[in-house]
Amino acid sequence: MFQNFRLSMAWLHTWFGLVLGFVLMAVFFFGALSVFDREIDRWAVPESRFDPQPMPSFDNLLRPIFEKMQPTKTDIEQFAPFAKGPMQERYDTVVTWGAYTTHRDPILNIFAGYEVPNAIEHDAALFTSRTIDPRDGKIFPDDSLKIGSRFFYPLHYSLNFHWMSLGYWIVGFASLIMLAALVSGVVMHRKFFRELFTFRPKKSTQRSTLDLHNLTGVVALPFHFFFAFTGLVIFAGIYFPISHTQLEKLHDQHELHEAAETGLPHDRAGVAAPIASVDAMVAEAKRRWAERGMGGDVGFLALRHVGDANGYVSVYRAGTDRIALTGEGIHFKASTGEVLREDPPSTAVESVNEFLTGLHLQHFRHWMLRWLYVLGGLAGCVCIATGFIFFVEKRKRQYVKQGSQNARVVDALAVTTVTGMLIAAVGMLIGNRLLPVTVPEGWPPRGDIEIYIFWATWVVAMAHAFLRSGPVAQARLNPAWIDQCLALAVLAPAAVLLNWITTGDHLVKTISEGYWPVAGMDLSLLVTAGLSFVAARHLRRKTQTESVAATNDIEDAEVQHG
Amino acid sequence: MDNLLLTAAAVLCVSGMAWLALAMDVHWKQVNKNPQSAQTVKVLRMLGYAALFVSLVCCLAVDHATMASLVWIMLLAGSALSVALTLSWRPRLLRLFALPFASA
Repeated sequence: MFQNFRLSMAWLHTWFGLVLGFVLMAVFFFGALSVFDREIDRWAVPESRFDPQPMPSFDNLLRPIFEKMQPTKTDIEQFAPFAKGPMQERYDTVVTWGAYTTHRDPILNIFAGYEVPNAIEHDAALFTSRTIDPRDGKIFPDDSLKIGSRFFYPLHYSLNFHWMSLGYWIVGFASLIMLAALVSGVVMHRKFFRELFTFRPKKSTQRSTLDLHNLTGVVALPFHFFFAFTGLVIFAGIYFPISHTQLEKLHDQHELHEAAETGLPHDRAGVAAPIASVDAMVAEAKRRWAERGMGGDVGFLALRHVGDANGYVSVYRAGTDRIALTGEGIHFKASTGEVLREDPPSTAVESVNEFLTGLHLQHFRHWMLRWLYVLGGLAGCVCIATGFIFFVEKRKRQYVKQGSQNARVVDALAVTTVTGMLIAAVGMLIGNRLLPVTVPEGWPPRGDIEIYIFWATWVVAMAHAFLRSGPVAQARLNPAWIDQCLALAVLAPAAVLLNWITTGDHLVKTISEGYWPVAGMDLSLLVTAGLSFVAARHLRRKTQTESVAATNDIEDAEVQHG
Repeated sequence: MDNLLLTAAAVLCVSGMAWLALAMDVHWKQVNKNPQSAQTVKVLRMLGYAALFVSLVCCLAVDHATMASLVWIMLLAGSALSVALTLSWRPRLLRLFALPFASA
């Protein structure tokens, strides 16, 4: 089909890269934002702007909250398709209670799973979750959206498109193609090391875009490769759902074996039993960790078969000081507090898996690495965006001759996924600050309105990009690039200003107090605005020289004719 | 102490990349007028690799090997990118790294 390997690789890289690049752009950008998801949450939920807290007392604070908890109406409605017959209103058989926290969380996320007697899958549980203030147990309103960890982060791996889990599959396929694009890109790139430091902004747009594409692709190659790969590893269970399809019986059998081996009951005994002091169990776990010379913050606390004689409590150490997430679990019998099991050190395979997932999910404490990840993610965005621009630059003259509109479409989609996506994100933050704390009766929940604002802004940006794309058909720049850069230069500082007006937290205050979650957000928004302004000015100058050159061309032509 | 070591790792990484870039003829010419000798290329390259290596050692001194390797790899990416962009817009800044060799 192709003359040589390099050409076939080029075809693969170009076309798969183009189609899935639009998805990857969102994955990379929102992935980069997710590095600071907790910090974005602080900005978006001002009531949660206080210092990170350790896991609170279970006996005094968490237990009363858990005991009062019931699934919300929405939780029950969402579970309904997985049950035979109508759903109950109350759920009293608790499969699990859990709380997870990291060194960056001031507020605590807790969840509970309940047994549903008429569930189709025998082991499916109905889950509900709450966000609480661990200092006093106050429950945060359901509708205040944690924009970072509950919107940008899931957008990164599922596009927030949950119908048939299709979002996961699209992102997974895009990651797979990303790996192929990296390999084919390396094959196509003739001067991998010779041009490692090469970016020539003064050469033609086509040349300088390709330089930037190669530069950002090559220097961050290990990052791109590892993140695409580990992303697939994390969701391997979704992409290869064998444990609930062909191998379901084996999976169930394995669970029983595991329960027998670890001594942690797989099922309820059906005999009611009280819960002993969980705080005492946590203290014992911390003592055992200290014996092994490990710092002792609790990252994950979980109770299984709550209220049953087979109930047990698992205490896991937070992954603050290493790559792997929580670990070193110690399990106690819930009714007596006796130690049932101490997890043995991870096997080699487990360690590799923990390292791969941990390096992607990063719950560790390392601010420098965190920022380097943002840099890697943004380098990925630049790499993809320059890929689009190079595609258009290379073909636009040819398309003009053919009278084709292809370049217009690709360019408009590029505007949508580069500046349009930024505008949507900033628009959502502005919406978050403009909406009243409690929305009027009859409106959708506050968090939902924020989500509508995000998608609506993006659609408007897309429409604008297409409407303004006419000049591309004449091989000129789409003015939407300039318009949207200018819009960002105005909107981003507006978000900073609105944060000041509505919360009183201005930069002088947050920086002098050293409150970096909010200061960092504000500063990043201002940097975005600055860069957008510079980009807009640069592009405007370029269009001016472009039109001068075009008139000269016409004059030249006339002179030749004359 | 940790912050100091990490800063050192970053500075060493950028220096290493700068020296490796200067060891290449194209980039040397962006910074210096006089041509580079074969000897200079050799020294620059050695310096470059040595700096990157010491940078890794600094990372290892701060964190566990798993974390340190990630920090170092990401530092390599960041440094290469900053050296490349400096060469595009402010190449003269890299004279700092070329000075001792400029007269040779």
